Amino acid sequence: MADLVTDVLVVGSGAGGAVTAAALARAGRTVTVLEEGPWVDADAVPPFSLEEMVAKYRHKGPTAAFGNPVIAYTEGRCVGGSTEINSGLYHRLPHHLADEWRSAYAIDEFTPEALDGYADRVEGQLSVARVPGAPPPSSAALERGATKLGWRNVEFARVFAYDAQGRGTKQTMSRTMLPAALAAGATIIPDCRVLGLITRGDRVVGARCRRTHPGGGVERLNVRADHVFVCGGAVHTPALLQRSGIRRNVGNGLKMHPTIKIAARFPHPVDHDGVPMHRVTEFSPFVAIGGSASRKGYVALALADTGEPYAEAMADWENISVYYAAIRSEGSGRVLAARGLRSPVVTYSLTEGDLSRLARGLVHLGELLLAAGATELHPSVAGGTVAHRLDDLGSWWDQVTRARANLMTVHLTSSVRMGENRDRTGADSFGRVWGYSNLRVNDGSLIPDAPGVNPQAAIMAIATRNCDQFLAEA
Amino acid sequence: MLWFEREVVGALTESPDQPLRSSVESFVDGTLRDMPEHLRAGVVGESVLLGTYVAGLRALGRMAADDPAALLDRLDAWEASRIGVVRSYVRLMRSLVVLAENELAPEGAA
Repeated sequence: MADLVTDVLVVGSGAGGAVTAAALARAGRTVTVLEEGPWVDADAVPPFSLEEMVAKYRHKGPTAAFGNPVIAYTEGRCVGGSTEINSGLYHRLPHHLADEWRSAYAIDEFTPEALDGYADRVEGQLSVARVPGAPPPSSAALERGATKLGWRNVEFARVFAYDAQGRGTKQTMSRTMLPAALAAGATIIPDCRVLGLITRGDRVVGARCRRTHPGGGVERLNVRADHVFVCGGAVHTPALLQRSGIRRNVGNGLKMHPTIKIAARFPHPVDHDGVPMHRVTEFSPFVAIGGSASRKGYVALALADTGEPYAEAMADWENISVYYAAIRSEGSGRVLAARGLRSPVVTYSLTEGDLSRLARGLVHLGELLLAAGATELHPSVAGGTVAHRLDDLGSWWDQVTRARANLMTVHLTSSVRMGENRDRTGADSFGRVWGYSNLRVNDGSLIPDAPGVNPQAAIMAIATRNCDQFLAEA
Repeated sequence: MLWFEREVVGALTESPDQPLRSSVESFVDGTLRDMPEHLRAGVVGESVLLGTYVAGLRALGRMAADDPAALLDRLDAWEASRIGVVRSYVRLMRSLVVLAENELAPEGAA
């Protein structure tokens, strides 16, 4: 068994962990980052490909939250976490949510102005930009449809750097914050799973880990640390805390953006390499409309959802793109690290209101795509009507049921909520876990509710804020 | 991968191309192997139950053996089942096969 001693231990290397490691290493702290997944070169596999799924996704693909219906979700499991596999869309936390959450959860120093200041700092370290030139056809379709209907829409910025030819490179954590952390002296250990935290009274004194070597050998590793930041994401952060005997308000209140999709066929080719950057905000904050990954396999998956034969459409797959309607859900879920199970059990309960909102989102998305010039719409609903005109969309209202809707999500939050309201939170206003003086959470688990937009920007701003508070206190 | 899972993957795979069929089966096998253990346990349980049911139908002569089309009909019926876990089973297997078959097909293949 090996032993390692560090000042600050960071568990997880995604948007929260990487920001934490960079901020604290730059401040002169001795930082060690443990990442359960491998270190995969950012250019090694094409984005959204099957190879990427195998190399960088937890469980090599989607897994499922139990409930009625089951909701599929994905997470990154590699150095850089989900920032390595997401679309890179960047959206600051909406001001009204900061106000609402500050009040509901009694979060100190959580004003929109304060968060914007931290977002400025994050953006100063990344490249946050809009696409130079015209948007790709799949994204232009969203803009065109919304404009025709008089609906609000926006081109989101992305965490992308563009070269002189306009070629974009996603600024994942393995390309940005983690190299910055390394340059400031941090150590990153990939392929290292934290089995449990070692507690003594109100302190965490270290972590028990299992490290897998590139050759396949496995060793036990004990890490002793003065301070521990758990940044494993909204599923694996509460799971680790629970495995370590820390359960109060940990793992309940999980939130997500349940998403329903349409494969839309156009009379012209569309792009398939990236994800559309336009979003329709007409129905925000409760329903958001946007575009998904549309490689050939994803197009086929979306076409197959209705259960109707789709070979004829698939022959025309280069004219098909996949779009979604995502909701801010009233429902919530739980993460449970059951004894004897390596993976936590995740559940999620949709409300009837959520289902109604999903149906509304699907119909609005259909209206938009028809306005944009789509000629055929395949909803992700078993037995769903393949729509060609507005009149066809009416049947979707009754078809989005628990038995027939095929839902997924990529955004999970809120499983260790922050704030001074101890009845509703698992950590204080700055992520310190209640009852422990040197244990902090610093990832999407802290966000009190689903933000209705990609949470990466909010996670990074909040993580920066919490690091400042930690450094000021220490 | 259990025998019935292999049979389901074979029935759902449309391409006659043997290397592609093998690649699809290998991908599905790897994905099932890497699932969270509680989900995998549920899928194994369903595979055993549904596989036994199909074997029973075949033994009684109510379903053709070695006929992927007959199995496909059965999978279609299960996908509309009133029992959620049965629907989910078919959706899972179909999703994995559809994704893999279309992503692993050689460039330019139909």
